Amino acid sequence: MRVQKFRSIEEMNKASAPESEEPHFERFLRHCARYWAIAPKHYPRGVFKFRSIEEAQRAREKHILLKQ
Amino acid sequence: MTYALTTRYPNLVDRDEIIRVLRAFEMAGFEYVLIGAAAMGFHGIVRATEDLDLFIKATPENVEKLRSALRQAYDNDPQVNEISSADLLGEYPAVRYVPPTGDLYFDVLTRLGEVASFDTIDAQIKDVQGTKVRVATPLALYRLKKDTVRVQDHVDAAALKERFDLKDEK
Repeated sequence: MRVQKFRSIEEMNKASAPESEEPHFERFLRHCARYWAIAPKHYPRGVFKFRSIEEAQRAREKHILLKQ
Repeated sequence: MTYALTTRYPNLVDRDEIIRVLRAFEMAGFEYVLIGAAAMGFHGIVRATEDLDLFIKATPENVEKLRSALRQAYDNDPQVNEISSADLLGEYPAVRYVPPTGDLYFDVLTRLGEVASFDTIDAQIKDVQGTKVRVATPLALYRLKKDTVRVQDHVDAAALKERFDLKDEK
């Protein structure tokens, strides 16, 4: 990836990030792998049923809060 | 003093897990649309996630294909048998499966209130390492995310809107 040079932070912040040649989903997989390595989480295994997506989201947030 | 420049990433096991599951879906003939962060990843908006969100065709046969694919991907995990079409087609339109690995899970949806179902979400076929994946279009993702109460959805919707120059519908 090429090097970009800026004369100021403002100039840097305005510049768009260079697009990678790598396929998007490959970049997503790599990003997730890095995230999972840095911030590993472990969820209780099994099947969980919810009456709505909101209920499912609340269950996830509750689990994360309990782990903290 | 010198420091060892070793890191734990990228974790190839985790990367392979997603590919393995998508491949098992295709081999089973399972009908689904990928939504959520993984779908956004296909469209070039990359953020980390811990789950794969799937809208599935709501038939008993398709739920059986899902079970078959997950058994294939997770070494015949017996807990897969708890995913039932009676639940998904009935009182529980959202089922979460956490496989034995425990750090990646699947949110399986048959409907989202009156807003969306497998049949109403616009999708396109994408390819990853030779595996075909049915992915919700940027506009379909935007429609799913723009009016929810979840903060992350608002961030995602804004990113989709900007990148694909999407217009709000009246």
